[in-house]
Amino acid sequence: MRRVTLPPRADWVEQVERLGFAFHTIDGETYWDESAAIAFTLEEIERDIEGPTEAIEQLCFAFIEKALDHDEILTKLAIPAEHWDYIRASWQRGERNLYGRLDLAYDGRGPAKLLEYNADTPTALFESSVVQWDWLEQAMARGAIPRGSDQFNSLHERLIAAFAGLREPSPYRLHLTCVQGSPEDKGTVDYLTDCAVQAGLDARFTYIEELGLLTDGRFCDGANQPIETLFKLYPWEWMFRESYGSALAGSGCQFVEPPWKAILSNKGLLACLWEMEPGHPNLLPAFFEGDPRCATLSARHVRKPLYSREGANVTLMERGRVLDSDDGPYGAEGHVLQDAATNLFSADGKYAVLGSWLVASQACGLCVREDASPITKNTSRFLPHYIEP
Amino acid sequence: MKRSSQIGLAAAGVLLVATVWSMTGEDPQENLVYNSLSDCRSAGQVSASQCETAFSEASAARLKDAPKFQSQSACEAQYGANGCGSASIGGAQYFIPALAGFMLARGLSGGAAQAQPLMPPTTSACPPGSTQPECQQARSSSSSSSGGSYGGSGSRSRAYSTTSGRSVTAAFAAGARVGSTAATSTASRGGFGSIARSFSSHSSS
Repeated sequence: MRRVTLPPRADWVEQVERLGFAFHTIDGETYWDESAAIAFTLEEIERDIEGPTEAIEQLCFAFIEKALDHDEILTKLAIPAEHWDYIRASWQRGERNLYGRLDLAYDGRGPAKLLEYNADTPTALFESSVVQWDWLEQAMARGAIPRGSDQFNSLHERLIAAFAGLREPSPYRLHLTCVQGSPEDKGTVDYLTDCAVQAGLDARFTYIEELGLLTDGRFCDGANQPIETLFKLYPWEWMFRESYGSALAGSGCQFVEPPWKAILSNKGLLACLWEMEPGHPNLLPAFFEGDPRCATLSARHVRKPLYSREGANVTLMERGRVLDSDDGPYGAEGHVLQDAATNLFSADGKYAVLGSWLVASQACGLCVREDASPITKNTSRFLPHYIEP
Repeated sequence: MKRSSQIGLAAAGVLLVATVWSMTGEDPQENLVYNSLSDCRSAGQVSASQCETAFSEASAARLKDAPKFQSQSACEAQYGANGCGSASIGGAQYFIPALAGFMLARGLSGGAAQAQPLMPPTTSACPPGSTQPECQQARSSSSSSSGGSYGGSGSRSRAYSTTSGRSVTAAFAAGARVGSTAATSTASRGGFGSIARSFSSHSSS
């Protein structure tokens, strides 16, 4: 694993916009950064990323089984009790999931360590699936990287296949939704809409603010069409607490991601997995704040709110002193403390975190986010990667 | 190989309103262009049964009228990589350009005119370096990805060709929201989204 400095394509803006990638620059700062790439060996990808990603997913499934049988775990995860039966039913029905992203610390030496699991509303998908794929093809064609290079990235074909298999009979009608006013979220949903159509589905977009409730209890879109299946790029913990939360169980709607993902998209998962498998090579020691075992953590550790997105409110501590933090609106539901990873990839004064993608619980893609700070945020730059021949 | 062998973007759900330029300089016409049957249905500009009729007319016209080639490479030389498919016509196997979309004349959407099949743009209509408006997208669609905008608000276009060899450029318009009848009435609206408003951003990760 190494960081390779490369000349960007002279017309890179035109090239990525040709694909429809509109948020390559965010608030005037570069987000898509092809002035460097991360090169991996095939062994690093398969042994250290792909294998552990699927192993962690299996561990997560074992944890869901346990959590659904233990009210005290659901309480610790700050999941409202009135939704427990709804979540249990979605798991027992075997409702299928579409995708998720594990964030891993890995520097090419030793096992990758799980930093967190974005199980419910991950973004950075379109740039992972399409933009870096196109970059790779062009980088090989212009000789910037060796011909015969590869990339850990079959996201596009896996997403299409996963959409087709989310419910029976297929094809079915799928609605997709996200909040208004977020170009990044809308871009992600537009891309997924494209994948759904290629899977043969009747795909329709509606903003989440437009959702309505019909008199028979079903949700409907902005045109009053009933919603049977809904992909929502909107967190479960918010849906549970908003006014339509009480209508979820009676709506007959199949949600993607399914309600059981609420158990995984919660930083409490990190403490729970460590409790289940202490010493697991791909986990970092972690405990709920207030647990006396927090005293056993390293002097250098990270404090994370149970519900947090994009690095918000994450604090890096050393012997009780704050080294780095990101402001944000989260933290009311409690925190976990986790050992700081000692194997973050670092080169040229920057830190990189790997995002390992799962589609239908299969590891099938990778993205790299780089930042001057060890906390990856929503403004961290996206670097393409390749596998050396 | 650890990566997808090809990536195609269908610019899904985006309603295409075509402006047609003929290569002989006719006036532009307004037509409706859809990339797929489900695009047509979800756009709601014509009824679902009209969509189905148009789609099957276009599919049949493609088999009847599209240029036929003996080999995939001969077909791809004209219609680009991944621009062709095989078809059995009259018991013989041919390669013909793919059905990239279909077009119906706006004024004739009542069914008077037959829907036309649209195929990938031809390389002869848009030689490398061409600056005609209908070729702007054709050049980029010679790679395996084309069309669509993900997160952008700007309008885009996509090029096609017809069975008679004309070049067609469809400009994307914002998808029109179309009212429809529901079996039951709406009791309320807007019960999701309040926490996102209070947090401003950060709804995804």
